[in-house]
Amino acid sequence: MCRVGGRRRSITGQLGNILTPPGNSVQGKVLVAGSASGLALLLHEPLSFWGGFDPRNGKIIDVHHPQYGTRTAGSVMFIPESRGSAGTPGAIAEALRNGNGPAAFVLAKTDLKISVGVMVANRLYNLDVPVIEISMPLIKQVSSGDEIRINPEGLIDWRKG
Amino acid sequence: MPGLHLDGRDQNLLDGKQGKAMQFAMETIVAAANIETAESLIEISFAHIDSCFYSGRAHLDFALFLLQHKARLAVPTWTNTGLVALDDFSIRDPFASNEVNEARQLMEAYVQLGCKPVWTCAPYQLPGRPQLGDHIVGSESNAVSFYNSVIGARTNKYGDFFDVCAALIGKVPLTGLHCDEGRRSRVLFTLDDIPRQIRASDIFYHLLGHLVGRHCGSLVPVISGLPGSTDEDDLKAISAAGSSSGSVPLFHAVGITPEAATLDDACQNQAPEKTVSLSVSDLQSAREELGTDSNQPLQGIALGTPHFSYTEFERLVGLLQGRCINKSLVFYLTTSRHVYARAESQGWIGLLEAAGVKIITDTCTYFSPAVNGLRGKVMTNAAKWAYYAPGMLPVQVVLGSLAECVESAVAGEVLLDSWATS
Repeated sequence: MCRVGGRRRSITGQLGNILTPPGNSVQGKVLVAGSASGLALLLHEPLSFWGGFDPRNGKIIDVHHPQYGTRTAGSVMFIPESRGSAGTPGAIAEALRNGNGPAAFVLAKTDLKISVGVMVANRLYNLDVPVIEISMPLIKQVSSGDEIRINPEGLIDWRKG
Repeated sequence: MPGLHLDGRDQNLLDGKQGKAMQFAMETIVAAANIETAESLIEISFAHIDSCFYSGRAHLDFALFLLQHKARLAVPTWTNTGLVALDDFSIRDPFASNEVNEARQLMEAYVQLGCKPVWTCAPYQLPGRPQLGDHIVGSESNAVSFYNSVIGARTNKYGDFFDVCAALIGKVPLTGLHCDEGRRSRVLFTLDDIPRQIRASDIFYHLLGHLVGRHCGSLVPVISGLPGSTDEDDLKAISAAGSSSGSVPLFHAVGITPEAATLDDACQNQAPEKTVSLSVSDLQSAREELGTDSNQPLQGIALGTPHFSYTEFERLVGLLQGRCINKSLVFYLTTSRHVYARAESQGWIGLLEAAGVKIITDTCTYFSPAVNGLRGKVMTNAAKWAYYAPGMLPVQVVLGSLAECVESAVAGEVLLDSWATS
């Protein structure tokens, strides 16, 4: 599962932009290469990972967020829009370090802060967490609980839960 | 990577010839160029980093990784606030000792790396700041907004780890606010319906920033109608409030900020896509939104978010007029070491401490659960403190002008006398 110490290549794939029926594969753009599998967790509103997320236990702690209290550990987190904070990369790296972070991130909008947090955690702790970008129409088809598998080339295998 | 031009030094770094830390930093810059589809890199002259702010062991591990592999900074690099005051143990929860120790180790690691230890979220108040047109790296949100808007230096809102990687390499992808196109205003805020005397009061700028942040989305705003008296403390307030309620890494103000001599300059001779006309009732709603209902007695005052400036110290001393803070309250004021030293040379620190003001450097008072005594109803003059503190501390907030904060602190109860209450 983990590649030890190796440098990670960025592989630019094509953005999946056709509506895909459940059970198919979708090609995303690789922001950070890695592989993962897990159950989808779709964020219903933007979340600030600094202040709105507790990196010690991986829970959403923003009291204004509709998914307040949700655990993110091990999930494939689908993020239509994020709220950037300078502290976002640190919070993500810390959650990944202590094993309470998501197994993968799938974004509809490119996000440098999430990507950098993951890159640092992958480098420091020999993890293999991917960050993939897909289109907004595709991400809207995801439901929390869908079974997701991501390969290092950014191919997302997707089964309705 | 196709399309991205790398020179010989970049390639050497990428190949690991300067060690693993510099290699990782270069990989991060290249990955960022891929992520943001930039075709070239641009040299920066300065960085203000947030990576020194501890939020977990990963921060410290990263700094130690850089030191272990002999990373070297390419540009002058200044530090944001830390989680703790390096020279004052008394203001943090002694039971959180592991967190405190690691936060201090983190700050010390960045000093060892060669950063200038200014420990402030208002680095623009210090001499030697960047100039108009300089490409730099900013990270903390209010500093990014102030650098872009008030100084006219150019930075995207970066963030932890990337800020240090860019300072090590001395380059960032040429994209976003580094480019002219990214700096064009697309949404106009007008103030014609707001009386002139309101536009000249200090709390107005906090409320204005909050409203701009709420309404501009991802578009660069331009504000028309700020008075000629608008100073850097006022612009600091807009920067901080706008990047709390929203994400405003750049705003222009016609006749005030350097890239907006005229509205056409700010909009680069195009028409704004949207105009928002602000009214007094909008300001009143913003003030209500930033306050939390509470019948409890006033228990504290918090000033200095972002860090208190020299001119704010001068105003505070004038407003206090030798009176003392009511003994039922705690009164915290945060500032940078630099401004502290200047205030001290005027004798103000002694005066304020004798009056009951607790002055803190290096850090801030809204993000730690362990500021002694700061609970219950707390009054602040800062929209940013009002926005964030209720989520992080057991407090209810009242937002007031500096004068209202001072009068309330002396009386020991909330006294609001200005227009902004409905």
